[in-house]
Amino acid sequence: MHIQRTLMCFAVGVLFGPVIMVGDEPASFDKLGAEYKQDVRPLLKRFCLECHSSEQKKGELDLQKFTTLAEVRRRTKAWLRVAEMLDNGEMPPKDSVQPSLKQRKELRGWVERYLHAEALASAGDPGPVVLRRLNNAEYTYTIRDLTGVELDPTREFPIDGAAGEGFTNTGDALVMSPALSRKYLHAGKEIARHAVLLPDGFRSSPYATRREWTDEILAQIRTLYGEFVESVDLGNGRAVGYINGHVDTRLGHAGRLPLEKYFAATLAQRDAVTTGGKTIEAVARERGLNARYLGTLWSSLTGSKPSLLLDGLRARWRRAKPQDAAALAADVTTWQRGLWSFNPIGLKGRKGSRSQWLEPVNPMVTKQELRFKIPATKDGEEPKEFVISLVATDAGDGNEHDFVVWRQPRLVAEGKPDILLRDWVSADGKAIDAASVCVRAPAVITIRIPADLAGRELVTAAALEPKTAGEGSVQADVVAGTPETKPGLLPSEVTVKFSQVTQVFSDHRNVSISRPIIVAEKSAARAAFESAMNAHRSLFPAALCYTQIVPVDELHTTTLFYREDSHLARLMLDDAQKSRLNRLWRELRFVSQSALIRVDVLEDLLTGMRGNAQYAGIEPLRGPVNQAAVTFRKELAAAEPRQVDALVDFANRAYRRPLTDVEASELRGLYRQLREQDLPHDEAFRLTLARVFVSTPFLFRLEKTPGGNAAAPVSDWELASRLSYFLWSSQPDEEPRALAADRTLHTPEMLAKQARRMLTDARVRRLASEFACQWLDIYGFAENVEKSEEVFPEFARLRREMYEEPVRFFEDMFRNDGSILDVLNADHALLSESLAKHYDIDGVSGPEWRRVTGVRRQGRGGVLGMASILAKQSGAARTSPILRGNWVFETLLGERLPKPPASVPDLPDSVPTGLTARQLIERHSTEPECAKCHARIDPYGFALEQYDAIGRLRESEADTKTKLVDGKTIEGIEGLREYLLKDRRHDFVRQFCRKLLGYSLGREVQLSDEPLLEEMQQKLAAGGYRVGTAVETIVLSKQFRMIRGKKRP
Amino acid sequence: MRSHNAHPNSRRTFLRGLGVTMALPWMESLSVWGDENAKPESQAPVRLAVLFAGNGFHSTEWRAKGTGKQMELGQVLAPLTDFRERMLFIRGLYNAEALKGNIHSSQTGNLLSGSPLANGGRIRSGTSFDQLVAQQYGPSTKVPSLVLGCERSVPGIHKNYSLLYSSHISWSSPNCPTPLELYPALAFDRLFKDDAEKGDKSVLDAVITEGKRFRRDISSTDRRKLDEYLNSVREVERRIERAGKNGELQGWRPTLDKPNIPRPADGVPQNIAEHMRLMCDILVLAFQTDATRVCTLKLNNDISYLRFPHLGIDVGHHSLSHQNNADYLKVNQFFVEQLGYIARKLDAIQEGERTALDNSMLMFCSSMLTGGHDATQLPVVLLGGGGGQIHGGRVLDYRDKPNRKMCSLYLSLLDKYGIHLKEFGDSNQRLAEV
Repeated sequence: MHIQRTLMCFAVGVLFGPVIMVGDEPASFDKLGAEYKQDVRPLLKRFCLECHSSEQKKGELDLQKFTTLAEVRRRTKAWLRVAEMLDNGEMPPKDSVQPSLKQRKELRGWVERYLHAEALASAGDPGPVVLRRLNNAEYTYTIRDLTGVELDPTREFPIDGAAGEGFTNTGDALVMSPALSRKYLHAGKEIARHAVLLPDGFRSSPYATRREWTDEILAQIRTLYGEFVESVDLGNGRAVGYINGHVDTRLGHAGRLPLEKYFAATLAQRDAVTTGGKTIEAVARERGLNARYLGTLWSSLTGSKPSLLLDGLRARWRRAKPQDAAALAADVTTWQRGLWSFNPIGLKGRKGSRSQWLEPVNPMVTKQELRFKIPATKDGEEPKEFVISLVATDAGDGNEHDFVVWRQPRLVAEGKPDILLRDWVSADGKAIDAASVCVRAPAVITIRIPADLAGRELVTAAALEPKTAGEGSVQADVVAGTPETKPGLLPSEVTVKFSQVTQVFSDHRNVSISRPIIVAEKSAARAAFESAMNAHRSLFPAALCYTQIVPVDELHTTTLFYREDSHLARLMLDDAQKSRLNRLWRELRFVSQSALIRVDVLEDLLTGMRGNAQYAGIEPLRGPVNQAAVTFRKELAAAEPRQVDALVDFANRAYRRPLTDVEASELRGLYRQLREQDLPHDEAFRLTLARVFVSTPFLFRLEKTPGGNAAAPVSDWELASRLSYFLWSSQPDEEPRALAADRTLHTPEMLAKQARRMLTDARVRRLASEFACQWLDIYGFAENVEKSEEVFPEFARLRREMYEEPVRFFEDMFRNDGSILDVLNADHALLSESLAKHYDIDGVSGPEWRRVTGVRRQGRGGVLGMASILAKQSGAARTSPILRGNWVFETLLGERLPKPPASVPDLPDSVPTGLTARQLIERHSTEPECAKCHARIDPYGFALEQYDAIGRLRESEADTKTKLVDGKTIEGIEGLREYLLKDRRHDFVRQFCRKLLGYSLGREVQLSDEPLLEEMQQKLAAGGYRVGTAVETIVLSKQFRMIRGKKRP
Repeated sequence: MRSHNAHPNSRRTFLRGLGVTMALPWMESLSVWGDENAKPESQAPVRLAVLFAGNGFHSTEWRAKGTGKQMELGQVLAPLTDFRERMLFIRGLYNAEALKGNIHSSQTGNLLSGSPLANGGRIRSGTSFDQLVAQQYGPSTKVPSLVLGCERSVPGIHKNYSLLYSSHISWSSPNCPTPLELYPALAFDRLFKDDAEKGDKSVLDAVITEGKRFRRDISSTDRRKLDEYLNSVREVERRIERAGKNGELQGWRPTLDKPNIPRPADGVPQNIAEHMRLMCDILVLAFQTDATRVCTLKLNNDISYLRFPHLGIDVGHHSLSHQNNADYLKVNQFFVEQLGYIARKLDAIQEGERTALDNSMLMFCSSMLTGGHDATQLPVVLLGGGGGQIHGGRVLDYRDKPNRKMCSLYLSLLDKYGIHLKEFGDSNQRLAEV
């Protein structure tokens, strides 16, 4: 049975099959040498040398030159071929003299013993690994990991070739040419364009222009603000009382306190927090609120210190139900309108402009002018008596001193004498003089105006009675009708207008206040109110920050960025957030170079304003703006050496090891040289950076070759790269770098630990796409254009997801240390909604990918049921059992067919009517010359015939029953899976190990790797086939950790 | 052939190699590099274009017989009817090395070199004859050669041979397939964009200085690989040094000094017909402006997955090639039309008494005769006058002749470029009739 199996495997061309049993004691080379001379050489002479002589060299094989075993050992590969040719019966050719079965066995037996001995003797040879350039994928990933930005620098590079075990990470295939090196130069320069120079160094950005970098930072600042505030559009000037007379000028955005949410939180959790059942922090966390502010609000609402403005709010809060949050917030907002005003700051610094955007206002006066227009009688209407009232209220603090004088209430009309109202006064007040009346608030004086006085205006002023009311406080108003008066403070409202608005900016600012509080200067009453207002403002600023940042409030602005966020910092930010915010602002100013731009902006404005009266108001800005520019230039210059230092630091990472002193000084030297060529700092910096990306140590995975002929371990730094390029297709991250610096990475425990850690990292997705997808021959399937659009219009839409499936499948396997047998037999799949639909699997909806289990009974699970694989191994319009069969044969089982006959008969792409694809192929494959190979591969394909050319299950049942070349009958995907898993498990596992090993080493697997492959297989079998076992065995192997000596023969 | 890159021939060594200079008047454009006394010439250089179509042609319709205007063409060649008097139909040549490997990629990677191909995961072919011409005359033009493709290459290994071989017929050196430009816009930029920037040279210098230091610490194989890079960088550097000196050209001047078509849009055109057409336009423009004199245009890969919905044929090319039906014929004609299109355009460019077609050699070929992998005789058509050196209107049939190597053809063609080699690939003979 063992022999039978051996022959079969060799028969189809596995280079070195399971014949080499590592455990067996190998024959000695002395003995082998004697046998060669005595038995083997004569056989060769008799049956082989006629063609394979040094003269003829047929098939480029010269067997004559193998005069001794020493010669044989020098070219082991030829003997692998000899074994292959003997086994598949190709040699000696049919028309030559054939050896007897005994002779054949003798020859083959010797070759086998020799190869076995040779494999053990050379075991662990690191092998010939050709210097590797980063391939396109590795280059891209390395750049991404270095810069932290998702750049795609190799988009227009030529596709890499594959070599070794069929992977693009093999030195042989990574060719170079002037055209490609030019592309590297361009790519390097292009990447360097994405560097953003900062005060202390540089970072990379997805963008390559100053404009975009500026926007990027602005967005970051706004995002940070946005974590705390609601950015509310203040609307245009009119909406908030003509802050700017330009109705269409937008005031921009303010970051407002999301008060309602905070009130809602305090109301909903009032009892829980009061009783100590829940902390403020817990409530804040639950609701995504700022704990600091919520705490401040809570203590203000529950505080007992009397406050004229807050007491009412507290009382209402205590009574409020959870649904009253909005009403409470509205209360606060109403008062905010009386306590704050917004100023334009687009021309901050000009003569007469305010210094702040959000400014506190105290709505208090000593005297209040009041006017009320009596409506005129309209045409055709009966003239009517009109009732108005002069209302004085106590401003909510009791009425002990609240004596208010209504001064000379009178009706005025243009061109007519004023009419004093004293004759109509009917109230409790007593007359002070002939024209004015004094009352004690709360008091209402109602006046009936005769019909014939309609159209006149009532004019008066309210003030405290100077002798009795020094500590009084009242609010006065003139209203129509007869109002009821209530004690209490009424909310004031501030209105700001500009007396004039020119084409450039808003001019003198007039502030008016409705329902102010009338108090005496320096009175205790005033102080009490002021303190109450401060308390309100402190707790409820009308805005926490200026989220607009870029002012739009003037027609021409010279303030490019304006920062006002002190309320936010005070109420909500912790130290880390504050310093992050400060850093962003510093970067914004540095990166945008706003100080320099402002000079131009201002000069442009001034040029346009020359001769205009407002020129003088703006001109004083020039001094400070120019001064700021000078300061900024110094700052820029001071940053230059720091940026160059950062570049050298960066190069350490790019070189994947510390730079030598020479390298560092050459890098700095290049920068200086470029500066001497009159390149500005920015350009010289970028070119020096580009130089890092085209340098040999970055672009190539240079490893120092030991002198002498013995293999030696690579350095810890080199090992770190071997590890990271194997598992991540990219540079090592921080941990292995630190270990390499300590020279402790190479210890087996550390190496295994790092490998295990890296396997769980998201970057292992790259191993999935680079290793698994290349192995399975679906690499780049997302761009596949091989399907007929007419027959499969849905294919173009689905191909990306089809490709994503195996990538996710293998990523999942690596990260979770899954079994490699799942490749054949998984009962789970990673699916998206459309892919699930494609597979007829119900219950998958929504945008996210997910792990779906129980898919085997739905015809999926493992690679055999994946659309990408089924589609890739199909024609444009029909399935191809030959391609699929050959794929199972070569890719999953690692077998090889002899060369097809010289001229392959034609085969139509569309299946003729009346035939199935299977029947078509079967007919094709009956030619005896063809049948030899087709019998080996086609049956696997027939078993998968239930799937159409884009991997869907066919609606009608296909004939998937088929007889394999070894006589076994299987049916459908289940049968094939069962067969591979049981009968061919060894071959599959070996193939997986071989491919993974070849990928990890970047070379073809060779005879001396045989013991390692055997070790991997044994460990896998013993440990439940966990993929991590295979990776760990490789990583700890000599092959992986060592390098061949320079003088190796 | 690396040495061609590293040490550009001075005119003197070049002339020595030539023996007789009279036959090749166009080389005067090289005078800028050397002999100041050379008389400026008035004749245009001879351009070389190689067009490749993968997977062979229809088994019965690739044929021609008769001479001159009376030549009868098989249906595949119908688009060349107007050019019968200007073409050589060459039949029966083969490439011995291509028969040794497997199928497809191992038949293609050495089509223009006749070299043995490495298998088993390694990559090695030979410098292709077009690149020999490019390395000799490249220094006279903005780019040494233009290597274009209309189908993305596929990584991977097919039957023990890298698929690189399927997508690359031009090889700058045995280890290095000349990268294929797939993007029309980038090909255009290579020809016409002046991309050397201040400081580039210093950067490249620094890369070379640093790179050289590693040479002593690595194995000889690695050193070869490293040198491949450093030489490439040096070559880029040399081109930067030379940029801007083209104005010194004496004697013959191209009829066009800047592009007369707009830069193509970025990206790869969705429609294959449009893609091929753009590449053909760029090829013609490159010759007309003398931005290069050597161009390889790979219309598709061997094992091609191109489809042709615009012809109403929605089947992959490779699969189609195994069907040999009317659709395949149509696709064959579509490929040959590209050659016809280029010929027609070149023929409309008057360069003194001759047209640009008279001053060109256009070779059209595949790596197998039919879709069934038959490489025992290869399909070849040669179009254009080669600067008066090729006399068309003939069918050359080598099927029964002893000397029927593709490499013999290349030796003959190289002769016409003054590159006289004793042997090339598997041949040391010429084809006298060419």
